[in-house]
Amino acid sequence: MDANVIPQVIEYLSKKGYSKTESMLRQESANQDVDGRPINTKAEETGGAKYGKAFGLMRSWVEESLDIYKPDLRRLLWPVFVYSFLTLASDFSPKDSSHFFESFKSGFEKEHEDDLRALRPISLPEHVLNSDVAKIYRGNKYRITLSQVAFLNLVQFLESKEKDGGAVIVGVIQSHLQVITIDRVADDQNSLARLLKRARASEEHPAEDEGIPGHNPGSANVDRSAGSTVLTRLKLGHMPLESDLMSDVRAELEEEDAKNPPVSGQDSLIQHFEQRIKREESEDAPTRSELQLPPSIARDVAMEVQKVKEDRDRFKIEGRTGGVGPGVSVTMFTFHNTYDSINCLDFSEDNMLVAAGMSECYIRVWSLDGKALPTMAQPGSTEQPPSASRRLIGHSGPVYAVSFSPSVASSNPLAPSTNSKHLLSCSADKSIRLWSLETWTCLVVYKGHDHSVWDVKWGPFGLYFLTGSLDRTCRLWRTDHIEDLRMFVGHDKDVDTVCFHPNSAYVFTGSSDRIVRMWAVANGYPVRMFTGHTGNITSLACSPSGKILASADDAGTIILWDLGPGKLKKRMRGHGKGGIWSLSWSVESTVLVSGGADGTVRIWDIAIGNDASGQGRVIGEGGAGQKIDGNAAQMHAVAGAGTKKKGKDVVVTSDQISAFPTKKSPVYKVRFTRQNLVVAGGAFLT
Amino acid sequence: MSVWNPENIKDVAESVGITSLNDDVLQALCSDIEYRISQVLEEALKFMRHSKRSTLTTQDVAQALRALDVEPLYGYESTRPLRFGEASIGPGQPLFYVEDEEVDFEKLINAPLPKVPREITFTAHWLAVEGVQPSIPQNPTAADSRNQELVPKGQSANPHMAAMSGNENVTVKPLVKHVLSKELQLYFEKICSALLDESNNEYRIAALASIRSDPGLHQLVPYFVQFIAEKVTHNLKNLFVLTQMMLLTTAMLENSNLYVDPYIASIIPPVLTCLVGRHLGSLPDALAAYDLRRLSASVLSSITKKYSKSSHMLKPRLARTCLKHFLDPTKPLGANYGGIIGLQAIGGPEIVRALVVPNLREYEDLVKDAIDAMDEGKRHEGEMVIKALLEALVSLEEESVGAVNGFTNGHSVEWRKELGDKIGDLFAERVLELGKPRLVKAIMEC
Repeated sequence: MDANVIPQVIEYLSKKGYSKTESMLRQESANQDVDGRPINTKAEETGGAKYGKAFGLMRSWVEESLDIYKPDLRRLLWPVFVYSFLTLASDFSPKDSSHFFESFKSGFEKEHEDDLRALRPISLPEHVLNSDVAKIYRGNKYRITLSQVAFLNLVQFLESKEKDGGAVIVGVIQSHLQVITIDRVADDQNSLARLLKRARASEEHPAEDEGIPGHNPGSANVDRSAGSTVLTRLKLGHMPLESDLMSDVRAELEEEDAKNPPVSGQDSLIQHFEQRIKREESEDAPTRSELQLPPSIARDVAMEVQKVKEDRDRFKIEGRTGGVGPGVSVTMFTFHNTYDSINCLDFSEDNMLVAAGMSECYIRVWSLDGKALPTMAQPGSTEQPPSASRRLIGHSGPVYAVSFSPSVASSNPLAPSTNSKHLLSCSADKSIRLWSLETWTCLVVYKGHDHSVWDVKWGPFGLYFLTGSLDRTCRLWRTDHIEDLRMFVGHDKDVDTVCFHPNSAYVFTGSSDRIVRMWAVANGYPVRMFTGHTGNITSLACSPSGKILASADDAGTIILWDLGPGKLKKRMRGHGKGGIWSLSWSVESTVLVSGGADGTVRIWDIAIGNDASGQGRVIGEGGAGQKIDGNAAQMHAVAGAGTKKKGKDVVVTSDQISAFPTKKSPVYKVRFTRQNLVVAGGAFLT
Repeated sequence: MSVWNPENIKDVAESVGITSLNDDVLQALCSDIEYRISQVLEEALKFMRHSKRSTLTTQDVAQALRALDVEPLYGYESTRPLRFGEASIGPGQPLFYVEDEEVDFEKLINAPLPKVPREITFTAHWLAVEGVQPSIPQNPTAADSRNQELVPKGQSANPHMAAMSGNENVTVKPLVKHVLSKELQLYFEKICSALLDESNNEYRIAALASIRSDPGLHQLVPYFVQFIAEKVTHNLKNLFVLTQMMLLTTAMLENSNLYVDPYIASIIPPVLTCLVGRHLGSLPDALAAYDLRRLSASVLSSITKKYSKSSHMLKPRLARTCLKHFLDPTKPLGANYGGIIGLQAIGGPEIVRALVVPNLREYEDLVKDAIDAMDEGKRHEGEMVIKALLEALVSLEEESVGAVNGFTNGHSVEWRKELGDKIGDLFAERVLELGKPRLVKAIMEC
């Protein structure tokens, strides 16, 4: 149609008095340019660019919104960013997606560094279907909790800006997010005061119930259909002693008491056993029938007796006496000339041996006292001469974890030996090996994992062990079975670290998907799930009391989880970046020790909380060092956080008792002995 | 758009016989390659992380390829980090390649075997004892770990601040005094009593030797400083105690494991007291105090040598004090003496030239009085001062270079006159008596 026709027609219509037809034509022709092509006024019709426009619009709106909603709304930016990007990559051109990524990635680097790195190269639809990270995001709905008012504000804004891109955002939210709104007046947990407090915390940390795949708010329940109040009941008590074993131990203790009467002021061994150690069947303890263990032998009796002795004579850490943290002693074993080839370390519980897994596929065991290692081989045979260290050769890939079987220092030479007899190791060659520490040979090769095995741990009673692998599974094994007994499947990425509950009825797994899961051994079901880490989980440790789990990530955060209610207890920060390789609890479960890549051993107080002071967020950190208190500080932090993100990364929370730096030696392993001395091991790097 | 160079793909395509490649295909392949590489790297990082390393090795990449079901690249495994050479094949087109030395097989076979790398060993030490990190060589010093964040800071760290901002359930730590372990306390007492024990020489020497060399005494430094200050103030009459305190100071300064810098300001006053004090020791044997003054001067000299770098005002301030005591006629000769040797100790010839020589003429009268005095003791003191001054002057000679061919007697009268004008007759005479022409020259040049 000729461009001049319409005005002519309109003129004609008005002349003739067809006013209704005329106005209709005017209206309809308004959306066409002079050439008669439709004009795009709606943002969603501009192709790939619409996402960039819409996201920019939303981001600037979030930054301008009221301070109390800002933290909530800011958390919304990340999922919208990711889903927009993935949609762009799969439906539009690579140019659009990379342009979008580069222009909006700033601001997410701190919390989502790894994800950003994984997403950046995605540019083609095939990649979206192939990439692990993209699969996780596309396959699940991102769960986020918003306060009702904030959510209504958002919806209102998006509707008012519908044509400028609001509709795009609405689309993303509808199809990929699961927004849960909570009325903050009704819910005590989300009162205004609480929200204000959380404002500061959530600047840096996701809420516990945020992320993928969602679960019930404030609940560790893995079953999404169950209500938030329904949690599987856990039996966190100690495993009771076998009755035969108990009577044997008692007899032995009485004999021991008669031989060496206790020093004045000291309990006799039998008293100590009855009062503190004795474990009987109780309601919150698993029964012995749930876990199959062989009948006790003389070695078990000797071990129990020695444990009672060590427990009585230990260095007692009785909380904070006079407000000062307990003074803990640390012995550091530094390895030299390693050329960074040590992958992992383990100390035996009898403090006699140390084992190192090497990247050169072998394991090396030393005796800590420098004496020759005992061997069963007959003298004069082809065995190598006795020496203080031995190599165990068998793996065909780097060894990633070693673990000594449970043991106790033996004080009585006549009693059966209670030393560590076996060593487990796992490697990139997908196998786990069991080594004898008497003949120094490999006894069993356990195969089952599909990829390299990252971690292996002995169960607290021996016999059982646990492995975690790159194939995203965690498996439970029994040394006398060649195949795994249980497979714990559920993590979206590698299972990096595993750990047993002290009663052996539960196991924990930590994964690169930043989630810690708890599983019941008896039936293999998941019973708890803990989210909140912002880095890959590098280490786990359950307290001897069985009530608290500590998990650490490579961003330098340690989180304590209350197992019963499944809640985050507190977040402890202080370690530098690069991974906290090991955690260990004191006998009393009041002190935690950690060691990591930053070359420090740090001691943490469990009893005091740091929650009230904004999860350790330092007000005015790294800036002019101004000190503001009360509300002013909160408002300031909220207002200033957008612009002032720089400053020191490392913040040390107030519940750190002390930190001991080493000389350029990353700490691979820390362990509290049964007498509350800390043993640490690391390699000196030149 | 893509980081990967499309030319590269073309080359590969041509090598398999595809000569014309669509541009779109090229782009798609480019971004796909980029994605695959990052996928491999992402996987390799996992292996690096689990090896607890911070550098990615070729082995990590090989493992990652295996994990992704790809055949690993062989031939790159190396214990050393790979070195990349750069070759330019065109403008803006650098080509990187792995530098691989050509090895002559003959040579390799005949070469002696390479050294066996050292065995992995381990050592044990105390990283902390009852919550305190001992300062032993195996542990980093306070200076090493200064840039690490070790203690809580900020609002949350200070319980008082936290309590003020309405924060409940804050456990308030009591103000903790410097906690000393029992062993250290005992050690301190033993050392103190040993030093003050006049009868047992061996015991004293052992104590000083211990302070001179033992690591781990850092916590005791403030206590020793306090001890020295107190003993010096209260025992001005007791030369033995003062001497011991100076020896203790020297021993502390000599211990390389101690970080004394912050305490220098508190260490100096006792040393100065022993150097230029009005009356040291009991009167009858006033001369005995001169030994002490000499000792203190040497302590002072070692302090200035060691610490004038860290506090640049140290030297000028000490020089001013010494000069004041040197030129004050109301002070006894002992104090003057201290001032002189102090000056020499602080700055050597330079200071002597700048501060001592110009003042000698005026000072001469004072010394003359002393030498002419009836009192024998005073005369001796005068002699000591003259000796000190001469020594100071002699140091000038060592400094000066330049050949002076011995002077003849004929000149001596002229020289004497000139010298007398410059530094006073008394000193001129003494200097000439030494018979050192170069010294005379050096003084004249001042």
